[in-house]
Amino acid sequence: MKVIGFNLCKFGNIIGALLLVPIIVAVVYKEFDIIPHFLIASSATFILCNVGIHFLHTKKEMDLKHALCFAALTWIFCMLLAAIPFWSTGSTGSYLDANFDAMSGFTTTGLSLVRDIDHLPYSINFYRHFLQFVGGVGIIVFSLTILARSEMSSVLAFKGEARELGIRPSIVRTSRIILGIAITFMVLGAVLFTAVGISEGAGVGTSIFDGVNYSMAAYSTGGFAPHSQNMLFYHSTLYEVVALVIFLIGSFNFTFHYAVLGGKRREIFKNIEIRTMFITLTLSTLVISGLLLFSNVYSSSAMLFRKAFFQAASAHTTTGFGTVYPAQIPSLWGSAVMFIMSLIMVLGACANSTGGGIKAIRVGVIAKSFFREIKKALMPKTAWVTEKFHHIETTPLTDTIARGAMLIAVSYIFLFVVGTTVTVLHGYNTSDSMYETASAVGNVGLSSGITSPAMPALLKITYIFLMWAGRLEIMAVLALMGFAILGLRRGIKK
Amino acid sequence: MSWKVCFLAPLLLLLMAPLAEAESGKALIENSAGFNDKAVTFGGEVIGVVVKSDNAWVNVLDNGVAIGIWCRAEDARKVSVIGDYRHVGDTVEVVGTFHMVCPEHGGDLDIHADNFTVVAAGRELDRSPSLLLVALSVAFVAAAIFVAFSLRRIRKEKEKIVPWPFQ
Repeated sequence: MKVIGFNLCKFGNIIGALLLVPIIVAVVYKEFDIIPHFLIASSATFILCNVGIHFLHTKKEMDLKHALCFAALTWIFCMLLAAIPFWSTGSTGSYLDANFDAMSGFTTTGLSLVRDIDHLPYSINFYRHFLQFVGGVGIIVFSLTILARSEMSSVLAFKGEARELGIRPSIVRTSRIILGIAITFMVLGAVLFTAVGISEGAGVGTSIFDGVNYSMAAYSTGGFAPHSQNMLFYHSTLYEVVALVIFLIGSFNFTFHYAVLGGKRREIFKNIEIRTMFITLTLSTLVISGLLLFSNVYSSSAMLFRKAFFQAASAHTTTGFGTVYPAQIPSLWGSAVMFIMSLIMVLGACANSTGGGIKAIRVGVIAKSFFREIKKALMPKTAWVTEKFHHIETTPLTDTIARGAMLIAVSYIFLFVVGTTVTVLHGYNTSDSMYETASAVGNVGLSSGITSPAMPALLKITYIFLMWAGRLEIMAVLALMGFAILGLRRGIKK
Repeated sequence: MSWKVCFLAPLLLLLMAPLAEAESGKALIENSAGFNDKAVTFGGEVIGVVVKSDNAWVNVLDNGVAIGIWCRAEDARKVSVIGDYRHVGDTVEVVGTFHMVCPEHGGDLDIHADNFTVVAAGRELDRSPSLLLVALSVAFVAAAIFVAFSLRRIRKEKEKIVPWPFQ
C-alpha cells in the first residue's frame, strides 16, 4: 500500500503543475478573479502530495499488482484534485458534479454537468479541454515523459493503462514519441479550426480560442466543446470536416501513426484495426442512413449522409461531438438508430489511441476467430484451420489471443448491462438509458439528454464509475478490487 | 359598433396571444416536430455572432438552450454586446420560421428570422477578485513553498545521518 501511495503522491505533483497552466489563459482574458482558485487548488495539491511523499517514502519498486492498482487509483486521485477549480468557481453545482466533469475530462468522455457553458470563465473552459488532452495522451504516459521514471516501474504502469504495445524499447522514449505526435496533430488541428472559424465569419479572438479548444477535444476524442451548442455553434460543414479529420486521426493507434509516419504506407490497407473500423463505420453509417431514410426525417440524401456519417463517426471514434441536439435525438432519430449508435459506441476506436470502448483490434480478432470456428465446423475433423491477423506485423490468431479479446468484450457488455439497469431503475426509458450508458462506458460523450445537473446523485456516481472502468478497460479495476479484498482478508485474519 | 369592438378586440387579442408569446428554447427542441416550419417568436441572450457576407448566424440562449438564428448581417450588426463570462449579452426577440431540419443549412435545427429586434442592451459584469480569496491564495502558495523546502531540508538531514555499521 505504501509503494502505491508514494507513487500516487509523486504523480499528484504533476496535477499540481497542470493546475497552473490555465492561469496563463486567465491572465490573457483578464480573469483575475479566477486566478486565486487555480492557485489554491495547485498549492493544496502540492502540500498534500509533498507531505504524502515524505511520510510514505520508500525505495521499493512497484510489481505488477502494484502497477495495476496504481493505474486504477491514479484516475480517482487526479479526479479528486482536478475537480477543485470546477467546484470552487461555481462552474458546477456541487463537488460531486465537479468530480463528474473532471472524470469525464480525464477519461475523454465529454459528458458534462457544467451549469452554464456559454458563460464559463475562459480559463475554466480551456481547463476542461486541457484535461481531455492530458487524459487523451494518458496521464500515465504524460508522467513517464516528464518524470523519466525507472524502467521497470514504468513498463508495468504503462501496461496497467492498456497501452502495452511499445513502439521503441524504452518506455520513456515511447512516451515522448506519443506526446510529440499528439502535440503535432493538436497544433495542426488548432490552425485548421482557427482558419475555418475566421473564414466562416467568427471574430479572430473567438476563432483562436475555439480552435485550440476544439482541436484538443477532437484529437483526444473527447467531445467537450466551448459552447453549449457543441458543433452547431458555427453551422459550418467545413468546421465539421476539420473535426472529422482530427478525431479520426486521434482514434487511430499510436503504433499505426508511428508506422505510417515511418514510411509503412501499406499498413493503412493491411492493418486489422483500420480494416475493422472501416467496415463497422461504413456498415453503421449505411444502416443509420437507411433507417433515417425510411423515417423521412431528412429531405435530401446529402443532408442525410452529412448528419448520419458525422454522428456515426463521432460515436464510433468515441469522440462525442454532436450536430443534433441531445434532447432531439430520441424523437427525431428514434429507438432503432439509438440502438445502432449505442452498439458502435461500445465497439469503440483503436487500441493505443485516445479513444475508448472494446477497441477495433479486439472486434477484428473476435470476428476472425468466429469465422475460424465456422471454417473448422465445415472442414473434416483431421484438417488444421489456421488464421492470422496483421497489426504492424502478422501474428497467428491463437486461442489465448481470442480468449483475451473476448474477456474484455464480455466485461464491457457486463458494465453496459449494469449501467443500463441502474439508469432504467431511475425511471428513464430503455433506449435512452442504453444510449447514455454506452456513451459513458465507451467514453464517448453523446447524450440523449439524461446527463444534466438535475439527474440523481446515484446515477452521477454510476456514470463516474462507468467512465473510469471503461477507460481502464476494466482489468485494472478488477485488479484493484482483488487487491482491496486481499488486504481486507489479511486484516480480518490479523 | 362599440359592442362589436368590445367583443372582437379581446377575442382578437386572445387569438394573437400564442403568436406573440415567445417560445422557450427547451420547448422548441423537445417538441421540434410540432413547431417545424411554423412561425415562432423566440427571445433570449446573444452568446455568439458569426457573420457570413450578407447574412449571419446569431446564437441566442434561452434558459440553458441556445438556438442559431439565421438573419440579415445588418440585423446582426445591431448586437453590441455578446454574452460571455464578463458580459450579459444583448437580449433579442426574433419572429421567424422554425426549422427542425433546415433544408437550406444541411439539416441543422434553426430559426430563419423575419423580424429581429434588440429588446435590451447587454452590460459588463463586475468580476473583480475577492480580497479574501486573494489573501487565501497567497497563504496557500506560501504554505506550499514552506512545506516543500522544510521537507526537503528534513530529508537531507536524514540522509546525512550514517547508520551504525555494527548493529
